[in-house]
Amino acid sequence: MNTTNDQNEEIDFSKAEAILDEYEGVHGALIPVLQKIQGAYGYLQEPVINLVAERMNMSASEIVGVATFYAQFHLKPRGVHIIKVCCGTACHVKGAPNIVGKFSEVLDVPVGSTTEDKLFTLEEVACIGACSLAPVAMIDEDVHGKLGPDNVPSIVEEVK
Amino acid sequence: MITLKIDNQDVTVPRGTDIFLAAKQNGIYIPGLCHHPKLTQYGGCRLCMVEVTERGRTQHRFSCAQPVSEGMEVKTKTPEIVKYTKSVMEYLLAQHPLDCPTCDKSGECGLQDITHDLKLATGRFKSARMNKPMRRDNPILEFNANRCILCGRCVKMCKDIEGVGAIDFQNRGISTAIGTAFDKPLDCTFCGGCLSVCPTGSWQDRTFKFRARPWELKKTMSICPYCAVGCSIQVNTKNDTVLRITSRDDVGNNEGNLCIKGRFGHDFVHSEKRLKAPLIRKEGVLSPVPWDEAINYIAKRFGEIKNEYGGESIGGIGSEKCTNEDNYVFQKFCRTVLETNNIDNLSNIKSPSLNALIHKSIVHGFTSTTSLQEMEKADTLFFIGTDVSEAHPVIGTLARKAIRLNKADLIIANLRDVHFNSTAQNDIRLQYGFRTQTVLINALIKKIVEGKLIDLKRVEKFTAGINEFKSSLKISTIEKASQITGVPEKTILAAATLLAKPGNCFIVCGKDIEEDPYGHEAIKALMNLCALINKASTPRAGVGKISLIFSRINNNTQGVNDMGVVPEFFPGYLDIDDQANRERFEGSWELKLSDSITKGGGDNIIDLALQGALKGMFVVGENPIVNFPNGKVVKEAFESLEFVVVQDTFLTETAQLADVVLPTTTFAEKNGTYTNMAMEVQRLRTAIPPVGEARQDWQIFCEIAQKMGAEFSYASPKEILDEIVNTVPIFSGMNYGLMNRRGFNWVTEHRLKAKRYRFDIFKPKPVEKKKRGYPFVLLTGPSLNHLGSFSRNSEALVSVSPECVAEINGIDARKLNIKSGDTVSVESIHDSMKIKAKVSNKLPEGVIFVPEDYEWVHVNALRDNVYTKVKLSKV
Ligand code: SF4
Ligand code: SF4
Ligand code: SF4
Ligand code: FES
Ligand code: FES
Repeated sequence: MNTTNDQNEEIDFSKAEAILDEYEGVHGALIPVLQKIQGAYGYLQEPVINLVAERMNMSASEIVGVATFYAQFHLKPRGVHIIKVCCGTACHVKGAPNIVGKFSEVLDVPVGSTTEDKLFTLEEVACIGACSLAPVAMIDEDVHGKLGPDNVPSIVEEVK
Repeated sequence: MITLKIDNQDVTVPRGTDIFLAAKQNGIYIPGLCHHPKLTQYGGCRLCMVEVTERGRTQHRFSCAQPVSEGMEVKTKTPEIVKYTKSVMEYLLAQHPLDCPTCDKSGECGLQDITHDLKLATGRFKSARMNKPMRRDNPILEFNANRCILCGRCVKMCKDIEGVGAIDFQNRGISTAIGTAFDKPLDCTFCGGCLSVCPTGSWQDRTFKFRARPWELKKTMSICPYCAVGCSIQVNTKNDTVLRITSRDDVGNNEGNLCIKGRFGHDFVHSEKRLKAPLIRKEGVLSPVPWDEAINYIAKRFGEIKNEYGGESIGGIGSEKCTNEDNYVFQKFCRTVLETNNIDNLSNIKSPSLNALIHKSIVHGFTSTTSLQEMEKADTLFFIGTDVSEAHPVIGTLARKAIRLNKADLIIANLRDVHFNSTAQNDIRLQYGFRTQTVLINALIKKIVEGKLIDLKRVEKFTAGINEFKSSLKISTIEKASQITGVPEKTILAAATLLAKPGNCFIVCGKDIEEDPYGHEAIKALMNLCALINKASTPRAGVGKISLIFSRINNNTQGVNDMGVVPEFFPGYLDIDDQANRERFEGSWELKLSDSITKGGGDNIIDLALQGALKGMFVVGENPIVNFPNGKVVKEAFESLEFVVVQDTFLTETAQLADVVLPTTTFAEKNGTYTNMAMEVQRLRTAIPPVGEARQDWQIFCEIAQKMGAEFSYASPKEILDEIVNTVPIFSGMNYGLMNRRGFNWVTEHRLKAKRYRFDIFKPKPVEKKKRGYPFVLLTGPSLNHLGSFSRNSEALVSVSPECVAEINGIDARKLNIKSGDTVSVESIHDSMKIKAKVSNKLPEGVIFVPEDYEWVHVNALRDNVYTKVKLSKV
């Protein structure tokens, strides 16, 4: 098993091993295991998933299948701040695509990725229930409503 | 049985059948794309809706998810249903590329068929076609996600049946797609299962792509030419060319499952490297000659040798790959025309006591599988000394079926920690130390007997000698056995408990045991074990049974032995020195056997050649220089001979030493039978005429015989089979007609009464010391992707597996500073070789493992007849 991840950092498997030990022999424990591992490592990285596969007698493709099915799991490293731009129907109508485009431009990352300095992760989400404020974006726990592309740079600066 | 009405027709099916299958079995068509009888139910495509009326209530149901019930009334084609089904299809087609003209699936595509049946000429939805890139990341399979309807069949096939789980649904919603973890290139066993169950053209066979339209193909039912599982295959041909291999779920043992060799390894049939014409050595060089010249020359030279030194100075090696008919004619030719009994086959030379042991196992009723498929009814599976995933992959699919549907428990005992994916509730691995297999089996026995895990009184009724046997167990202790074998005591106990549990127990005894110099001890111990758990472990006699299956390597390794290409027996294991047997064959063959037709002194023909007792040799379809341990000595033996004839499909290393080489046909060109390792005689059929100048093996023997002045002719393999059936008791009652869907099992067909078993009491030989200066033991074994000269000449298989690597243990590797990918030198007293190393945690320390079926890697040249000691160093 390779011991470095895609960032070429050494991985310490001991946290994952401990989590797997805790769930040893427990049926249907994949999701809690993945949650804990994500909690410990920030995201689900390939070598750790391979370890989970081996220990839980499952194939890696099945685990990745589960991990990519649920929005809560992340296969890529995530930033300190998570920017979720709503692309639900109301926000879409009110110009969400432009907002996403602007964030992407300002941060210089494609949607779904993390900036090189690991400060921001840009994501699209479905309706977050604040349609009256459309278009909206959530940065960490804060909702920013009635956005226009022009607001984007200042919001980013603010959070930094 | 349940009776219900489907579209006003009464149908009766077993309880538990779903409506979809009940309809299908009765010729009533319901559309449906995700249902597959061998896969678990999913209900994902939504096409199979029917109207069900039960107890006065009418409801719509998905027929694949609804079991039948008594008195149910089902309608499959009400206007509502047709409307619903059509709209589901319209959704499916909205995104589909509809590139049928360039899709290889066209003509056998479920989606296309249903579109056609429902007369869906125009769709209501206009939607952007998907345009995902084609995945072409491996030599065999290509994946076109745009054609995928996400029915999930391939995912279940890969996970449940093949046990690999290389692919799964990835992502969610509109971006859901079938894919690998992290989008890595497909790296799997390439069984082609996904390809075979996909209802659309998503998975494509790259070796077949654009070579034919499915409707142009002629399909001939036949048997796989590789391993001894004997999977049923369909040879697909066009213009006398084999283009692909498919399989049928309803014929043979394999339920349509195949491994990479069976499905993709067929291209050797049309390999450029096939022998094109007979060759005779002229001035040192093998040169093409017309058939007549070759036959005349052979007849003349064999005649001369026979006159000068006697017939017994000619040796014959039969083929583990040729048909039973070929081998029968070969032994008859050798015994009656050449007048030699120095005939044998490589499997018998490697494991000289195996035939007799198998015979014993049959006589006592331990080898009682009617077909390998029976294994899916196993309650306990015990694989010892065999690496099933590599050697006999489709046995793996049968075992996994038993585990999935029958809740079978699994025990794997092996020197290496062999890879076998299972979901068994109890999955026990016993990794024993080198040469300790018998100690391990005896420890299992001891636990069973002394732990009273079975009813010994009952065993006593069916066997003899149990009391002495019991006391013989006293001399050792489990602690000691655990120490010697390295298997923890509690694991031994757990395995013993599973073995003793009631129900069907299938034991597969592998090559590691059979070819071990002390393998016969382990097999005797296994039979003692069988006798204990046979009748006694079951609550009622006759319920549950024991089946001891002996691994055989090649497609017809069993058959070449059955056909008497061994010095000890006539065909059918009839003792060659027994007067009545001699008379039986003299009667059938209408001649008098020469006095030299007798067992002889027990030296095998390689030894005889080395001693100078042989002057000529006739090798059929084998490459002993490479495939036999101690290849160096074998080469010396061949070089010492005056005249060697090799009959084969390729110019093998052995053929290169020959004086005459004759080109023969492959399985695709042959008609006849092979016998698999469960003693099932199965039928292969001619799919294409002989390629080039190749001739049928049996015909060649007839021609040489006639040239040598004998009356010796057959019109067809059928005539040969008739002679076998009429002469050899174990085959009485067999005929080609019986073999359309199933093989003829020569053991169970005759329902012999099992003979009372007497426990075998023996003392295992002590474990020997290592040779100084050669600290490693060389272990060889099977590999999934290769088996001899066929796979070597299959571009498909070589492209998947181009290089043979040696595995060594991590601790040894560290000591010698070897990393995966380094080239190492392996050296024995006989020879040395350079090979790439792979560090593996599957091996015990002090053992180096090299697959032996990459025919171009001459690992056998290093080996000797006992454990080969080698040294290892980094180059
Ligand atoms: S070829 Fe076999 S192992 Fe590979 S993905 Fe397909 S089903 Fe799975
Ligand atoms: S690739 Fe074929 S078998 Fe697999 S989900 Fe798609 S349509 Fe079904
Ligand atoms: S398991 Fe053996 S018989 Fe079956 S397809 Fe593979 S090589 Fe052929
Ligand atoms: S659509 Fe954006 S918050 Fe509802
Ligand atoms: S066949 Fe029934 S839902 Fe697909």
